[in-house]
Amino acid sequence: MLKRNLMVAAVLAGLTGAAAAQDAYNVGLTGALTGPAAGTYAPAVDGLRIYIDKVNAAGGVNGKKVNLILLDDSAQPAKAAANATRLVNDDKVVLLLNASLSSTFAPTIAESQKGNVPLIFASSVCPKDVYPPANALQFCTTAFAANYDSRAVLDFVKATAKEPVKLGLSAMAIPISRGEIDYAEELSKTLGMTPVSKQIIPPPTPDYTPFATLIKDAGANWVYSWAPWVTQVRTLEGLRRLGWTGDYIAWAHLEAENELARLKDGKLYVVGANALFQEDLPIHKEIAAAAKAANSQYPVNQMAEGWIAGMVIEAALKAAGWPANTDKVTASLSNLKVDLKGLRGGELQWTKDNHFRTKQYYRVYRFDEAKGAIVRVRDWQAFDVK
Amino acid sequence: MQLAINIAVLTAIYALIACGYVLIYRVSRVLNLAHGELMMLSAYLLITTASLFSKTPFIALGAAIFLSLCVGVLVYLFLMRRMTGEMVLAAVLTTVALGVLLRGLVVLIWSAQQQNPAQALGWVNHSLPVFGGRISAAGAALIATTALVYVGLFLFLRFSRYGIRMRAAGQNPLLAAQRGISLHVIYALAWGLSTLTGALAGILISLDSGLDSTMVLIGLKAFPAALVGGLDSLVGALLGSLIIAAAEVLMIYYVDALLSDVVPFLVLILMLVFRPWGLFGTREELDRV
Amino acid sequence: MSSREPRASGYFRSSYAQGLRLLETRTQWTALVLFLTALGIFPFTATSFQLDLACQVFLAAIGAIALMLLTGYAGQVSLGHAGLIAAGAFTAGILFKEFGAKFWITIPAAAVVGALIGLIFGLPSLRLRGLYLAVSTLALHFIVVYLGGEYETKRGFSTGILIDAPRVGDFIIRDRKIWYFVLLSFAAAALLISLNLLRSRTGRAWAAIRSHETIAEALGIGVPAHKLLAFVISSSMTAVAGALFGYYRGFVSVEAFSLFLSIQYVAMIIIGGMGSLLGAILGAVFVTLLPYVIEYAVAQLPNARSYAGMLAAFNYAAFGVVMILFLIFEPQGLVGIWRRVQNYFLLWPFKQKPLGGGRK
Repeated sequence: MLKRNLMVAAVLAGLTGAAAAQDAYNVGLTGALTGPAAGTYAPAVDGLRIYIDKVNAAGGVNGKKVNLILLDDSAQPAKAAANATRLVNDDKVVLLLNASLSSTFAPTIAESQKGNVPLIFASSVCPKDVYPPANALQFCTTAFAANYDSRAVLDFVKATAKEPVKLGLSAMAIPISRGEIDYAEELSKTLGMTPVSKQIIPPPTPDYTPFATLIKDAGANWVYSWAPWVTQVRTLEGLRRLGWTGDYIAWAHLEAENELARLKDGKLYVVGANALFQEDLPIHKEIAAAAKAANSQYPVNQMAEGWIAGMVIEAALKAAGWPANTDKVTASLSNLKVDLKGLRGGELQWTKDNHFRTKQYYRVYRFDEAKGAIVRVRDWQAFDVK
Repeated sequence: MQLAINIAVLTAIYALIACGYVLIYRVSRVLNLAHGELMMLSAYLLITTASLFSKTPFIALGAAIFLSLCVGVLVYLFLMRRMTGEMVLAAVLTTVALGVLLRGLVVLIWSAQQQNPAQALGWVNHSLPVFGGRISAAGAALIATTALVYVGLFLFLRFSRYGIRMRAAGQNPLLAAQRGISLHVIYALAWGLSTLTGALAGILISLDSGLDSTMVLIGLKAFPAALVGGLDSLVGALLGSLIIAAAEVLMIYYVDALLSDVVPFLVLILMLVFRPWGLFGTREELDRV
Repeated sequence: MSSREPRASGYFRSSYAQGLRLLETRTQWTALVLFLTALGIFPFTATSFQLDLACQVFLAAIGAIALMLLTGYAGQVSLGHAGLIAAGAFTAGILFKEFGAKFWITIPAAAVVGALIGLIFGLPSLRLRGLYLAVSTLALHFIVVYLGGEYETKRGFSTGILIDAPRVGDFIIRDRKIWYFVLLSFAAAALLISLNLLRSRTGRAWAAIRSHETIAEALGIGVPAHKLLAFVISSSMTAVAGALFGYYRGFVSVEAFSLFLSIQYVAMIIIGGMGSLLGAILGAVFVTLLPYVIEYAVAQLPNARSYAGMLAAFNYAAFGVVMILFLIFEPQGLVGIWRRVQNYFLLWPFKQKPLGGGRK
């Protein structure tokens, strides 16, 4: 027994090596860098890493380097909890970031509250706490957000549809996606649409056809899905295989740009808050060049979320000054305006009560079969966040 | 009609996976809980062979299937051979550990990103009209492959020299060994064949609907099918798959889609309570002192 | 830990009471006191990350001890351990959210729920053995996770149920040092309960059932009753561990209880060494710390950041390899190694075991 204890002590002593740079801003992130969910988060986190490296190479913020600590939680809540504990208590970060599945939110929030450290959700879905009136410590830079997305989608459907809309809905059987689809179902009724079928699909489903059959047989002419990309696209593929020819609208996840080109489906609309990389704005060129220089293994067009988070962090730390503490950073985050240089429809603004953004912009894209390219269907549409 | 087609496709998926469990269990009484992972590995191998032989999709397919066969044999030679004669439970746990290892390796080699083997092969999954319903090409291929595999296995086990040896080894390993049958060869063959059928399932599923690590869970869901039918019976595996697939699809249609995830296991528990050895399985012998 | 034989060579017991004693020699007493002191000092010298790891180890140890009772002693295989942990955590979470129940209600309630589930899922064990039993416990996992998920969604706790820190009067248990001692005492209680069960009639009956059911029955042991008892006790303990997990982490959500967690618990008792409580504890320590050790090792490599994306995959692979190595080369687990080391020193300068001496 004694031996066991010595062994534990030795191992633990070894683990403390995590060097906390004294002369730098410590910023910590727990994210799904690996594991089944990583496809959605790892590219964004890599974008953030490249951005911060670029900032450091240019002399840092207020003359100090930003020490970005990346910890992997594989989307497991227990691992996220351990990571957050370590970041808050041992690494003494002034800012905590979460880039993972919603299952890791609860433990990360718990640690952020205990340690009074501000927490930014970057590339993970925005929890309701960041909407006005916002929780003092929680912020969100991510493009997609519960409720507002469905409002934008249904608004577009209403404006586009020529005949009465019979709406089919599809969600993945995870709480966050189900909640949003339930919300969309209620909202569609108030907009004069008829929700005809709502399918909640368990994630390890070998065959989506049974679900697609039900939606098709219910007579849907529009189908809306707000779920991880797999569910969105497999439901569509299932429907098309059954010969369904209606319009399909889904959220433009990071993968959307590549996937639209792969599917070549003229009636698949994606709604998003980020400009696609094919617009080729100067900022997109900049990201592509930086990613190339950093030899990143991830597709460049999935890095925008990380880049935006990086811009926000840089601006917040700059305003917080040196030496920064958690209170100063929270204060500067609560009164922040960041020019996103076209990555989104407008600047990102946070106020004391609104930690989501004062205006949320949406754009709709689809693949044009005649042109053989992705085209804009509707340009930036602003929704006030109150 | 679409209902029947949906059930048929799902039955084919489960049956093709389940026969992998049955093959190994039948000869060595070991339950291979890494079957789902081996299936996934095969589908990923296809991604690699597809990029090597991008011009000739059939060579790529053939190479991936052949490699999977080799993987199965190698797994037996380097890992499971050491567990023959050990407690069955230890062997089963070894397969669990193998599964965990494979899951890690797959991500290390191919990354966690969603893959599309169909696109890599330059192949489009058209849908075909049948009997007033529609079926995807990959779905049709699944049904055809399953039928072929089962007919092939029946003939192999019934008439071929090695098939008969396999059955003998399954019935009484000691006696079989004394009659000059090399158990290691038979076991390695069983592992190879099982991985091969798993590879067919994995490749066809991934051609139909893309590939990521959830493939493992599909492998696990097919497992109740094998058990309900009886772990050492191929006919049982077929019938068990039909029962489980029908229960699942009917549940999605008429009750609650979310229950479809649990239903295979509920059927399984019912079966275990009333007839633990399955519909067509052999009843285990009683303990003797 | 539970020494059935004295430390020194030879067998000196002259009464049954001596055979039942937990500690026999002065050296054992000294070791125990030293060990307890070390455990007591640890939280005052450790960083909070290390404290967190220690707490995780204690939680894992409770679960591993419970599984060891069921699998390692009574011989009943279970792959549904994560389901039971989830059941305990959800009992605590639901009682807290719906009725605002205090922890002295929720934790016993979790124990009761665990016992009930254990009873129900012990029933198949009366007919099933080995593999089939393992599979039926696997079903348990899926059912519990389904029910938990339904509750979360229906009640709108889509990112998990948040549980407030437990409060005694005006005092809130939030400080990690206090948690350390709370969890330590629960783990110690679990260990003591198990030790006592194992040296009493129940434990002997379990061992007999594991060795040979038919013979056990012939010897007059109530096989069905004892099997169910093993399930009930083990599940109850596991559910308490689950409830403690909920309180310690401050949240409950289905995603925290994946099938992989069950595999980890099974790995703990294999790696630790089947049929030994010390093994359960060693296994819990090993499996809990392994990913962190790997993470630390990877961080030491040059250009560590570029490997960061590979870490979980690497962890998975390493975990699989370690499990395989233990299964093939050291089926006795860490305890086996520990005993061999002990024997080496006990028998020195001899290599072989002298008659009647040494520890088995």
